[in-house]
Amino acid sequence: MKKIHAWKTLPLVLMLALLSFSAASAADTANDKCLSCHSNRDIINKSNERLYLDPAKFAVTSHSAIGCNTCHDSVTANHPTDGFKPSKANCKDCHATVQNEYAASIHGSKASCNDCHNPHEVKPLIAVSGSDINAKCAKCHNLGKIIKSHDKWLPQADLHIDALPCVTCHTSSKNYVITMSIQKRQVGNTSFGDFKLAKFNELAELNPINGDISRLIDKNGDRIISLKELRDFNYEVRKKDMRLWGMMMPEVATHSFQILENRWDCSFCHASGPKAMQKSFMAFPDISGGYTRLEVESGAVLDILYGTPDFYMMGSTRSTALNILGAMIIAGGLMMPIGHGTLRFLTRKNRKEH
Amino acid sequence: MKQTEYIYLTPMPVRIWHWLNAFGIVTLIITGINIRFPDILNIFGTYKAAIRLHNTAGVVVSISYTLWLIYYLFIAGTLAKLYIPTFNDIKTGIIRQVFFYFFQYFKGGPNPHHGTPDNKFNPMQKAAYLVIMLVLLPLVIFSGALLMYVAPLREVILVVGGIKTLVGAHFLIACCFCAFLFVHIYLATLGHTPLAYFKPMWDGWEKVEHAHADPHGDSHGTVHDEASDRNRVAGSPATMKTV
Repeated sequence: MKKIHAWKTLPLVLMLALLSFSAASAADTANDKCLSCHSNRDIINKSNERLYLDPAKFAVTSHSAIGCNTCHDSVTANHPTDGFKPSKANCKDCHATVQNEYAASIHGSKASCNDCHNPHEVKPLIAVSGSDINAKCAKCHNLGKIIKSHDKWLPQADLHIDALPCVTCHTSSKNYVITMSIQKRQVGNTSFGDFKLAKFNELAELNPINGDISRLIDKNGDRIISLKELRDFNYEVRKKDMRLWGMMMPEVATHSFQILENRWDCSFCHASGPKAMQKSFMAFPDISGGYTRLEVESGAVLDILYGTPDFYMMGSTRSTALNILGAMIIAGGLMMPIGHGTLRFLTRKNRKEH
Repeated sequence: MKQTEYIYLTPMPVRIWHWLNAFGIVTLIITGINIRFPDILNIFGTYKAAIRLHNTAGVVVSISYTLWLIYYLFIAGTLAKLYIPTFNDIKTGIIRQVFFYFFQYFKGGPNPHHGTPDNKFNPMQKAAYLVIMLVLLPLVIFSGALLMYVAPLREVILVVGGIKTLVGAHFLIACCFCAFLFVHIYLATLGHTPLAYFKPMWDGWEKVEHAHADPHGDSHGTVHDEASDRNRVAGSPATMKTV
């Protein structure tokens, strides 16, 4: 095999890096000009709220990297006093495949891209919580009615909807993982519904190491959450009106909204067996409103008690240790008929004599 | 002369409860195995069918348990007498009964316990039934009820340590019931014939032969001469018949 020397490829790498940096810098400069007004609450007041951009949320989007002008290319140097309404790109211009897939789905005629996605705040799937996804759906689909309609066939529909983003069942998304997040009880409330995903600021108040939220659990900072770290956190968290909540998230989302026949069958999720439940993540909120996730030690969801004390999927997240303990109890019971029964048979003559 | 006497040992409400409970518990065990190991076992066609049957059986067992408790507490009023071991039971009775089952029985020795309608259970049975009926069954019913309504009862579930603790407890108690079932059925075959103790739980009447009192009789109530004499004096005609 031909050996490639690093020094030969170095100029090419440097050139590419320089080009992307230049493009990003140019976009940033152009963005800054736009944001100087569009992220200024004094200029963009509540009467024209739709023109306001949260700079922190916009900065982490892929749309920020390509720059405002890419989508709003008709903006002139005299904007906004030129009398023209700036143009807006069509999502399909870049996302044709997704658009076609979506248009063909049962949802295609019901809502446009912008009804679910704010292009100035859009994030990749792994940076969005399941609750946020469901909150988008709930803008049109009344939660109470959804629970009621699912209740007709789905046992504990309220629990399922709480633990699954709608897209897990209603798109053909694949490769599911358990993503856990920290929930905090809302002040002054005691009922179940008042546990909400803890916000960045709420967790920052707990003084994590180096101000890094993930270090609340990942104590050694190796970017992997061990089972011990998870257990320790769960012991601590009980006193703080918080809990860990898990949702079954797809790794890759599709836009093929539909009612899938195999989702009527509970075994689609519940009979996947413990092997399918080895991989899980912990999602930490970041300042932009998105989430950064860290991988959790394999099998944490299956831990007997304190790995994920408040997350359990019947049939799938059963603990092997508990199974062994249960089998030992049953075997103890069987010892009576087997052991005693054998001795009873061998000593039957003694009782006949009496 | 050989005289056969029948004692009305198990009243009808108790028998109805017993078989309803037995049927319910067996259903719960089978559906429970299906629910915990759906990737290995699928008896009921769909997972949902197993869950619905498990829930239904759970409700039936809960209702029958409530009726059992009401019957023994308020109607018969014999709960404490039948199910709570006395000081002597704890001090010597349990050990004596264990010694009988695991030693004397094999040598053909007599059962130290002689059952009567007022004292049906031997000390070992009392202790076992006390744990089963007044500790494990209420716990499994309570944990099962919480698991049937996880979202609305989340607060209670968090108080008991989260859903993993709850599921773990429910599962291990269920395993105890499964183990108990094997022991219970086996011990019920230790009468003078293997089916002798099943009969009174079916028709209520326990057969007692006075000339040949069964020395191996189990605590389900084989009444020996002395005990029968006591019954003859104290028992009402409605609870005894002689053939």
